[in-house]
Amino acid sequence: MQLGFYIDQSRCINCHTCAVACKDWHNIPAGSVNWRWVVSVEQGKYPRVFVAFFALSCLHCAKPACIPACPVGAITKRQADGIVLVDRDACLGKEDCGLCREACPYKAPQFATDGEAKMQMCHLCADRWQEGRKPVCVEACPMRALDAGPLDKLEARYGMLKQVPGFVYAAESRPSVVFKARQPELLQ
Amino acid sequence: MGEARIITTSCSHDCGGRCLLRVHVHDGKIVRIETDDGEAPQLRACLRGRAYRQRIYSPDRLKYPLKRVGARGEGKFQRISWDEALDTVANELLRVRSMYGNASILLLAGSGSQAVLHGAGAVERLLAKFGGYTRTWGIPSFEGALFASMATYGTMMTGNAREDLLNARLIVMWGWNPAVTVWDTNTAYILARAKEKGTRIISIDPRLIESTAVFAAEWIPIRPGTDAAMLVAMAYVIMERRLEDRQFLEKYTVGFDKFRDYVLGVEDGIPKTPTWAEKITGIPRATIEKLAIEYATSKPAALIPGWGPARGSRGEQFTRAACTIIAMTGNIGIAGGYAGGFMRAFHSREMVMPRGARNPVEEGAPPRPYSLYKLRGAAKPTSARIHSVKVYDAILRGRAGGYPCDPKMAYIVASNFLCSYPNTNQGIKAFQKLEFIVVHEQRMTPTARFADILLPVNTFMEREDIISPWLGSPYYLFMNKAIDSLYESKSDRDICAELAPRLGIADYRDGRSNEEWLRIITQQTGDIPDFDSFKAKGYVKLKVDEPFVAFREQIEDPVAHPFPTLSGKIEIYCPHLAEMENPLIPPIAKYLPVPDGFSDPLSKKYPLQLVTVHHKPATHTTMERIPWLDEVEPRRVWINTRDAETRGISNGDRVLVFNDRGKMLMAANVTERIMPGVVSIGHGGWFELDANGVDHGGCTNILTPSEHSPGGAWCTNTVLVEVRKV
Repeated sequence: MQLGFYIDQSRCINCHTCAVACKDWHNIPAGSVNWRWVVSVEQGKYPRVFVAFFALSCLHCAKPACIPACPVGAITKRQADGIVLVDRDACLGKEDCGLCREACPYKAPQFATDGEAKMQMCHLCADRWQEGRKPVCVEACPMRALDAGPLDKLEARYGMLKQVPGFVYAAESRPSVVFKARQPELLQ
Repeated sequence: MGEARIITTSCSHDCGGRCLLRVHVHDGKIVRIETDDGEAPQLRACLRGRAYRQRIYSPDRLKYPLKRVGARGEGKFQRISWDEALDTVANELLRVRSMYGNASILLLAGSGSQAVLHGAGAVERLLAKFGGYTRTWGIPSFEGALFASMATYGTMMTGNAREDLLNARLIVMWGWNPAVTVWDTNTAYILARAKEKGTRIISIDPRLIESTAVFAAEWIPIRPGTDAAMLVAMAYVIMERRLEDRQFLEKYTVGFDKFRDYVLGVEDGIPKTPTWAEKITGIPRATIEKLAIEYATSKPAALIPGWGPARGSRGEQFTRAACTIIAMTGNIGIAGGYAGGFMRAFHSREMVMPRGARNPVEEGAPPRPYSLYKLRGAAKPTSARIHSVKVYDAILRGRAGGYPCDPKMAYIVASNFLCSYPNTNQGIKAFQKLEFIVVHEQRMTPTARFADILLPVNTFMEREDIISPWLGSPYYLFMNKAIDSLYESKSDRDICAELAPRLGIADYRDGRSNEEWLRIITQQTGDIPDFDSFKAKGYVKLKVDEPFVAFREQIEDPVAHPFPTLSGKIEIYCPHLAEMENPLIPPIAKYLPVPDGFSDPLSKKYPLQLVTVHHKPATHTTMERIPWLDEVEPRRVWINTRDAETRGISNGDRVLVFNDRGKMLMAANVTERIMPGVVSIGHGGWFELDANGVDHGGCTNILTPSEHSPGGAWCTNTVLVEVRKV
């Protein structure tokens, strides 16, 4: 089974509630580490402008590029649910390595700026799944623009759209995500 | 981390939302904050509520009572005991009262706490029992919209429930950004659902705001301060094509003929055509025509006049004009329509502490000139109050300047006043003139730095209270106490209760504990069956048969249910306004050119119109300097690519934004999302003046004028500036 995300770009209002809730739940200080972040797309010229937003995180790819990139095998993909996890004790850190972030098409692996700087990223709230709860970002979203669950179920419910403005589907890695796109009404 | 207790509460700052917070407490410390995951409608908190842990434990929190030891505003303080602090405040109150009288005690009460027991109300009760005080009128957010709502409908209860937007065929968001300002929890979510079911949504705003980007099928950028011209021209198109609802106008309104005479040019020889409005608004006449026809032929349609456009010079005219074309199309009292006006939608917000003693200073004072004193239901229109933007001038000039008192001391509660009110530089001068300043605060704000005595106040998570939705929706929230008060902080109410005996006030609490008061207030709502289960559950969500629609009764049975105006009808022409004979608040809605507007000769010197908008991570000034929020969206000045190019400004450059009132330095956001000629800055910044008087803290009120319209509207969206690369 592979867990994944549904991201509704047509609803995202760029409020960052998901990102703040993530930092609060996982106790991540403000700074360079963002397990979840919001992508903002702005195209066109005044007054015909297209603007869209969506929240992104590690997408727990079917074939994560970060895993072969890691020289010490610190990144693993869980068999039972496909969550990609990092063993921070084994990680060499950003100063000595950082190859996982370079390999990732979405720059999901995160490093703090301090000396330690071991890799960390979204683990799909593995702690909450254990208690039968969805990730904190999903339960936080005031727009109900996020969902998470078994990818096949998400695809059955929301469709197979894998690419939206601002997001290129990395066919080799196969990120575990489906989208709903923002339509470019304001350009018309 | 072991088992945490989960406490249910709600934010109580002046935010458009009112959401459920589930606070995880471990060993007396808040470790996490979640939100509503229970029964529908879920009241999900926004980023500001989710980041609240960092506000509670902010390094800026005031720990102990402080006494000023440096110059005022310098920020040098010394820790003192509560006894010394309270004795000093009491002695100053007694001294000022005996030397100058109660009217010279100025209460500067902000909206920082909106729950029923704590915040400004606690001090109002104390000072009323002390023999009175001078207070302000002119609410920053909405005074213009409120005035227009009262003049037209005689009430502020003019909104439909948000769920009713799902019944509209067309939604026009006019200067309205609920994706940022929330405007009652779940508003943005309901707009998304309305769009998904096929409702056409149009947005009129100088900026391409989040609400436009996500919900709107069409964006109509408009020059700030010209909204009334657009609406009047829409009325022209509707009249010309005979699309107005004659039957509705006949049955429910008065004075349409006078408005028609103005629009058609019978009154002044100028027909208010789309061509006329194009020159003023910057909107092509074809767009104005198309919108007018679409609005008039898409019943039911919800035209939502936001408070922002009314927060400008002559802002009353925007809301009045909007209400007028809403009435012309008969979109009132019906599902899917929207009456505009003040837009409160349910009686839950009427839940307040029973009034204590009246303010003796206001007893017997005549009504304020240009107030709608014959109407009931808004704030008391007494001439004993000072308009909030004139506080600084009143301090500087007093009775000699025509004000009702000579202010000698300021009692500041739930307000970062110097940052929140216009013309901060004037305020800094004025505050030096006061004999005494006492401030209740939670953190070391720029206003707190001006205190002579600074009293540390706890946050809402450190006390118990109840609260209702901001504009009214059918629910109530119980604010359970999550943790004990940090450091030596106390609640506003406890501070006042301890001051009371020092002032000779025997029974500040009127013989009742906080919980007894909460029980009484709960019972008075008539909606909450049982206090104890309300407290245990943390909320009461009322089941309503159908979404609330304002004026349904007035429309269905006008004989039994007249409108609460003097005529009993919707006053397109308001005789109460006519009596005032003030051309700046005419009896019908008009477009009025304004000082500091785009057509002011001053625009040669300062060619950019500044709008001061709500800043996503902020709740006015309350959520400043919270790391999780600061990083979301740093405050920047939005400027159109063309305006930036002519000034040699690139995205991210440091620029100076300035006019005759002040200067500030900030980064530029060069974007296509704002119309040329307009710049915007999110308000709420805490000023940080350097040696040259340049602000580095992003406080927009460094630039705003301390002016207001006769109806009370603030002018913080009527500001001319220039921007220069540094």
